[in-house]
Amino acid sequence: MQLISYSFVILWGFVFALYYLVPKKGQWYVLLGASLLFNCIGLRGFPLGLLLTGITTYGCGMYLGKKLDQEKEALKQCTDREEKKAVKAVFQKKRKKVQTLTIVFNLGLLLFYKYAVVAVPLVERATGSGAGFLERVIMPLGISFYTLTAIGYIVDAGRENCAVETDLLKILLFLAYFPSVTQGPFTRFKQMKEEFEKAHVFQYDRMLRGIQRFVWGAFKKLVIADRIGIFVDRVYSVDVASVPGGIFACATVLYMLQLYADFSGYIDMAAGVSETLDITLPDNFRRPYFARSVAEFWRRWHITLGNWFKDYVMFSFVMSGTGRKIGKACKNKWNGLGRQVAPVIGTMLVWFFTGLWHGRTVNYMLWGLYYGVIMSVSLLLEPKYAVWKEKLSIKDGKLWSLFCMVRTWGIVFLADVLIRSGSLAQAGEIFTSLVTRLHIGSLLSAEITSYGLGKYDFLLLLMALLIWLVVSVSEERGLDVRAVIAGKPMVVRWICYYGIVLLVLVTGIYGGSYDTAAFMYQSF
Amino acid sequence: MEEKILEILEEHCEEALEYEGDNMMEDGVIDSFTVINVVSDLEEEFDIEIDAKYVVAENFRNKEAIIALVQKLMEE
Repeated sequence: MQLISYSFVILWGFVFALYYLVPKKGQWYVLLGASLLFNCIGLRGFPLGLLLTGITTYGCGMYLGKKLDQEKEALKQCTDREEKKAVKAVFQKKRKKVQTLTIVFNLGLLLFYKYAVVAVPLVERATGSGAGFLERVIMPLGISFYTLTAIGYIVDAGRENCAVETDLLKILLFLAYFPSVTQGPFTRFKQMKEEFEKAHVFQYDRMLRGIQRFVWGAFKKLVIADRIGIFVDRVYSVDVASVPGGIFACATVLYMLQLYADFSGYIDMAAGVSETLDITLPDNFRRPYFARSVAEFWRRWHITLGNWFKDYVMFSFVMSGTGRKIGKACKNKWNGLGRQVAPVIGTMLVWFFTGLWHGRTVNYMLWGLYYGVIMSVSLLLEPKYAVWKEKLSIKDGKLWSLFCMVRTWGIVFLADVLIRSGSLAQAGEIFTSLVTRLHIGSLLSAEITSYGLGKYDFLLLLMALLIWLVVSVSEERGLDVRAVIAGKPMVVRWICYYGIVLLVLVTGIYGGSYDTAAFMYQSF
Repeated sequence: MEEKILEILEEHCEEALEYEGDNMMEDGVIDSFTVINVVSDLEEEFDIEIDAKYVVAENFRNKEAIIALVQKLMEE
């Protein structure tokens, strides 16, 4: 079931009505029921994988809670610091063992579903052998998302950064919460527990704002992302030699916008649905294309994934025994630069796993490596930037900011060629054509309209992008666009509301052979 | 102690001293490399061990939070 579908809107409507009718203490049961139903309808079966992750996560949490209590009791008996240290080490070892086992089990489940369930039937079909057992296995919805979310809880519970949950059903709701289960944002248990448990009172304004955000997300998805998708898919599917580099440049720039519109559109819809239920989801995008560096770009793009990797991979590695040993040894040997070795290894690990999480191809591995190297080098050189800027007499200002933004777009552009290409060979050919056969004039010729989008589609796209740009600039300046519109006279207000709804209904990409509702990030 | 912590912060990230918000990491005032270097210097200076569980945005939201964290760890 997709967020843009009749069945979802019906489910949302029922949940909304029931949610505000039942006693406040029972509201989270409605969410749990809806989330399980969403899973069952979406899968046309039982979400066994989700249940296994839920049970093991819950069990691990309970064990950690018990050991933490025992540790506190034991610490009360200690008289000096050394004794306390020893007691802590003993309990930490026990906790780590169970945490590691649970994490390995759940990562194993993820690998099983992502690789075995996909690959084995293909091999069996090709060779005509095998029992066909895996053909009948159902891939759980959002397994990549809820597995990482579960790991986050396991680590947080062990670190006492969140309370241990004693109710299995709440863990299941946390993992399966229906608006965000398929594509995030990644949530933290501490925050979501508060959201689920508080008494939610119906607020007309909040409901309206939620619906507005949902429609805005649908606008980005249906009017912008899916329209761009037609052009990008067509360009990237033809023989590279037959297309001028300029067309590939245009397709890649549009692909950058498509990815953003598609993913942030989904997040807007998930957040909008949640807002109508008086639940706040964490921000996942903060206008990334206004970033002036790659590091800033990734602080604004898929924020919750970035924070997940930073907290659970980067800091976990650097602060671990191994990370500390490496850090100390390198610091003793090379002092200044040596102390950066462990953070650089941590950054490379983060980007290796980010690449792996996004896709299983070599292109994605290289994409991760590319960002890892850029992030590490830019962070290492950061102290030098001020010196270089002074030497070159570069002043901070609008022009410099614009240059930094364009430089960031360029870096993202190259990375996106890599992930949009079907293979490394195709990416190589495209890079070559961008240098040797740019033929920029092709963008103004009739050829540009021969890839699925006609003149009027381009005009419509341009208009939609302009609306998006105006909204983004306003938000960047700190304006709450929905509040601004709400403060306008009724006529202006309803022109804006109906205008967007009409644009979505009339100019959205629906039906036909093009899969309108599949979100790009769902495949990650 | 406060003075020493502020000195360490100044050495790695001057902006942190002037920052008055409550999420230095998200606001891009302090990046993960700087956090790691600050943690390493604080550990050395005050003979404490700052476990990964303390290296979260909440404890690095501003200079006051960092001072509070060191104080808490020294009391333990």
